[in-house]
Amino acid sequence: MIGRHSLELALPGASIGAVAGAMAGGLTLLAGQSAGLAALSALALAAPLALFGGLYGVLLGRGVFRPGTFGPAGLYWMAAYPLSRLFQESVAGVGLADGVLPFLGFQAMVSLGFAIGFIWLHERLMPHWLLHRAGDNPHAAELLDHYVRHAQILSRRKGARR
Amino acid sequence: MDTSKPPVAASPPVEDERVWKAGRLEPMPIRKLPDAPPSVHILGPTVFLVALGVGMGESYMWPRLVLLFGPEIRWLFLIGVTLQAVVMLEMARYAMATGESIFSGAARVFKPLMWFFFIVAIAVYIWPGHLSAGAAAFEEITGVPWVATAVVGLILVGMIFSLTKVIYSVLEKVLSLLIGVLVISTSVVASLVGSWSDVVSTITGMFAFGYLPPEAMSAAWFPVIVGACAFAGPSGMQQMWYTLHLRDSGAGMGVHIPRIRGLRHAGEEEAMPSRGFMFDTEDPAEMAKWKGWRRWVTFDALLLFWGITMLVTISFTVIAQAAVRQNPAVRTAVQGDDREVALGAMSDAVSSVGSSVLGMIFLGFIALIGLNATLGLFDSFSRGQADMTYNFVKGAKKLRMSHLYAGFLWGVIIFGILILLFGPADGPSGILDTLAFLSTFAMGAYCVTLLLVNNRMLPKPIRPRWWTNVIIGFGAFFYLGMLFYSLFAFGVVVG
Repeated sequence: MIGRHSLELALPGASIGAVAGAMAGGLTLLAGQSAGLAALSALALAAPLALFGGLYGVLLGRGVFRPGTFGPAGLYWMAAYPLSRLFQESVAGVGLADGVLPFLGFQAMVSLGFAIGFIWLHERLMPHWLLHRAGDNPHAAELLDHYVRHAQILSRRKGARR
Repeated sequence: MDTSKPPVAASPPVEDERVWKAGRLEPMPIRKLPDAPPSVHILGPTVFLVALGVGMGESYMWPRLVLLFGPEIRWLFLIGVTLQAVVMLEMARYAMATGESIFSGAARVFKPLMWFFFIVAIAVYIWPGHLSAGAAAFEEITGVPWVATAVVGLILVGMIFSLTKVIYSVLEKVLSLLIGVLVISTSVVASLVGSWSDVVSTITGMFAFGYLPPEAMSAAWFPVIVGACAFAGPSGMQQMWYTLHLRDSGAGMGVHIPRIRGLRHAGEEEAMPSRGFMFDTEDPAEMAKWKGWRRWVTFDALLLFWGITMLVTISFTVIAQAAVRQNPAVRTAVQGDDREVALGAMSDAVSSVGSSVLGMIFLGFIALIGLNATLGLFDSFSRGQADMTYNFVKGAKKLRMSHLYAGFLWGVIIFGILILLFGPADGPSGILDTLAFLSTFAMGAYCVTLLLVNNRMLPKPIRPRWWTNVIIGFGAFFYLGMLFYSLFAFGVVVG
């Protein structure tokens, strides 16, 4: 079972997912729809993206992903993003004009872009959050240690500057 | 390698005594190459090149050409961006091997070559034109007059860069955040409005090599295509400035060069050496580290630079295609010369797909891209001019690099404000278009410079391979050939 400590690592990824989903997904579908339906649409994209974003953080804490590397995270989002969009379309969409497979194919391609942006922002937010939580959370301390080792190698390099 | 030792050879050779002679300028002392970053880490100085490169070419010029001539025209974009990725790797080769900028490399080959770039930079980049598109988009959203936004933006940029301690770190943080937001939101919007067939036609269009419809070969459109090719990826001198960012981020031998500080902290700056350094290319351990650095920068070039530039253009093209499907009048609107009208039409059409809010988001992207480009451009211009002035103007070393940087920064800001307030009042587009010829010419010229610098100023083991030289040579032919063909065949420079 995933404990509280692991869940804390999910926060940065979940926030990025939620904000990205709500920002673009919600606003896009405002037109001509009731506020309730628009909110449902935003929620229907934000919720799965937040879930998968958070799961990424948890898996990062367990060593499944390595900080800052793109390949595995790209594959992860190639599956997770189309599923999130499919969920949104089935809950609050207007129907898939092209059929499910072309829809998923298109979403999978776009997802690589989403993955780059996600990792990019996650790498910015996660270390700050870990610094905040490392005192009480051994998982966070462990992951922070990974980031610190990386930063130390970089700073040793910069320390060589005269 | 061609190193020379001092005449007294009684004691065993000490690393510090050896030098690498490159051209007629001061030889470079041999120093240790630092270790390459331990993992292929996603964030590097490429963030600047991406910020500068993803601009009007990706968000406007290419989507517009696709609407006019069909997705097949994108084969030229593929060539342009791929060429720029190779140029980036070659720029990085000299900067990482020496810690010098490409401008210093050019001066080692032939000093007037460097002065040529010094003058072109001033001629092209002191005009505040690049601010106009973003500020005009901001005006569409908020109603705030674009001149006011542009002036306030200019002053803010100057203050930020003057007050911060280490300019590179702050700029990297801000640009990273902006690009992250841009990449995520462009992807999400494209995923909402686009379809499989849009993206398939956009991508297959990239491989229609040689496609040029008859109407493209006209005085009205060929110059526009030349301009768009020059704006595929970083344009003008942006690649040359990238070498300064590499150096300031401590990549490769850049680690031996101090960083530039903001004006308020200029007193803390270490003395800037007047030349770069070289590592021992005959030492296998050093060469192994060099390979690590090359892997690092290649990853940056392929995934970050090539990948993000492609992604943003494909997304914008998909958005534009969706827009035309909804509202065919957009095609007519983008045929006109007026960029604001065309952007407005694209925004309206995007609105009709989703909502007026989506049109706002589209304009918001344009404003965001404009802000990215402005932050990056002002910093890079000042950095480049300060670098050349410090190293090659007599007496300039009495000042600190940070003072020169601040001088150029505020010079370009004040000039920009004066032009915006009292300059040619023919609207934003008018300013941007005058830069096109010199900007494209500089790109052909830097390809030639790169060939000379990397093949003559670097030790043999780290010189480029023959096929890289062929690609860069093709680059010179591509930019200069198209530019002069347009000039002689149609009598128009660049559109």
